[in-house]
Amino acid sequence: MATFELYRRSTIGMCLTETLDEMVSNGVLTPELAIQVLVQFDKSMTEALDSQVKSKVTIKGHLHTYRFCDNVWTFIVQDAIFKYDETQENVGQVKIVACDSKLLTQ
Amino acid sequence: MSQTTSNVYIQVIEDVITKVREEFTNNAGPGEGVLTELQSLWETKMMQAGAIVGPIDRSAVAKAMGPGAAGANTVHDLNVPYEGPDEYETPTADLLFPPTPLQTPMQTPLPAQTPLPGTAPTPLPGTVDSSYNIPTGGTPITPSEYSSIHENGTSVRQPNTYMQPPSPWIPQAQRPPLDVNVAYVEGREDPDRLAANQANQANQPTTQDFFLLSGKRKRDEFPPQFRPGGYIPQQDGAADVIADKVEVGQGSNSQPGHGPTFSSRIPQLDGPIPDPYDDALSTPNIYNYQGVVNEDYNVANTPAPQEMQAPTPAMINQNEDDDEDEPLNENDDDDDLDDVDQGEELNTQHLVLAQFDKVTRAKSRWRCTLKDGIMHINNKDVLFNKATGEFDF
Repeated sequence: MATFELYRRSTIGMCLTETLDEMVSNGVLTPELAIQVLVQFDKSMTEALDSQVKSKVTIKGHLHTYRFCDNVWTFIVQDAIFKYDETQENVGQVKIVACDSKLLTQ
Repeated sequence: MSQTTSNVYIQVIEDVITKVREEFTNNAGPGEGVLTELQSLWETKMMQAGAIVGPIDRSAVAKAMGPGAAGANTVHDLNVPYEGPDEYETPTADLLFPPTPLQTPMQTPLPAQTPLPGTAPTPLPGTVDSSYNIPTGGTPITPSEYSSIHENGTSVRQPNTYMQPPSPWIPQAQRPPLDVNVAYVEGREDPDRLAANQANQANQPTTQDFFLLSGKRKRDEFPPQFRPGGYIPQQDGAADVIADKVEVGQGSNSQPGHGPTFSSRIPQLDGPIPDPYDDALSTPNIYNYQGVVNEDYNVANTPAPQEMQAPTPAMINQNEDDDEDEPLNENDDDDDLDDVDQGEELNTQHLVLAQFDKVTRAKSRWRCTLKDGIMHINNKDVLFNKATGEFDF
């Protein structure tokens, strides 16, 4: 199963990365095993998002920058409005990074 | 932080831990204890980040997820983690630190020996142990020891290649005083030897500078001492010969340490020299500037020839020319950097990580459909299964 490393930049991914870094630098973990854990995280996170999350979000705003490189879309949206679960969040500027979902299914 | 997000995170953690357990517990793996440590560290960081609401949920989820595994984890939580980390961390700390200390002592004694011109060669060729003994116990080296060492040093010539040639000159007159700070001693006694040493030791000019500066000697006294040990004589001599040759090929930004380059500036300087040095004498900074680093001196002198009196303004003029170009570029970069900085702020503040199903554009109207995303907005983590974006560019 193909996986994205995309989610490693999320809070949970960063926490895991920091943990692994510490344990590797302490000599507790081998770098190879740490990478295995990260790959497993990629899978688990993707599966969880696909199977356990049902919420929908709408995003509106002014597109400041768009970029499509290596099958990754990057948007920088200003004055963005997020609507989900009957709540609304206003953000002055947000960065959206999205990988091609078709790459996972292939 | 929404409860659902926290629960999903907890389940992801459990899932990851469960699925990598085999890798940890097989023969080559670090063991269950390390895995438990990984999980606890991870969860701790998540709670600190506010991404997991609380330990209660985790335990509840853990129990719900798998009673057997959870029970095993709790057992290990009590026993293994404390032993595991201690056992591992302590030795690792030892393993990590030794290299540094090892290198440090190696380097330290060497420079310590270096200042002892005559002795330095000796300890180096000798066994490492002897080199260590000398700096630690024998900082004060008695003349007898010194002479013996020196004899050894002479017998073993290897270090001499590394050491400055002056070493043979110095020992005869200065063996005893050399114990602590050779440079200063030499500086004081130098007047006789300056002519001989000036080409050999780069440190002496500095020494003289400090000495003279500290003494606050007047300019009248300066020139005689300064010239023998200072750069001027070298410059003058070299300048007359090489200057013409060098000027053709070398640019203004020539590298330090090149005699030719150095000299190339000088011939022009010869006329103005007295004035600059007068200024230099009155201005300590400039003086140190000249004495310590040859490179800077070259740079400083470069402008000087163009304008007679003040090297400083001349230098400024050139710099301004250069700066005029640079600021323009820098400004351009700054503009870019502004965006980058904002982007970096975005990374830490507001970020959406997702997969895209479709991205379309009609004129300036962008539409995108995203799925399986993690949003970090206004310090909250929000997960979504689908998202639609409508942006105007």
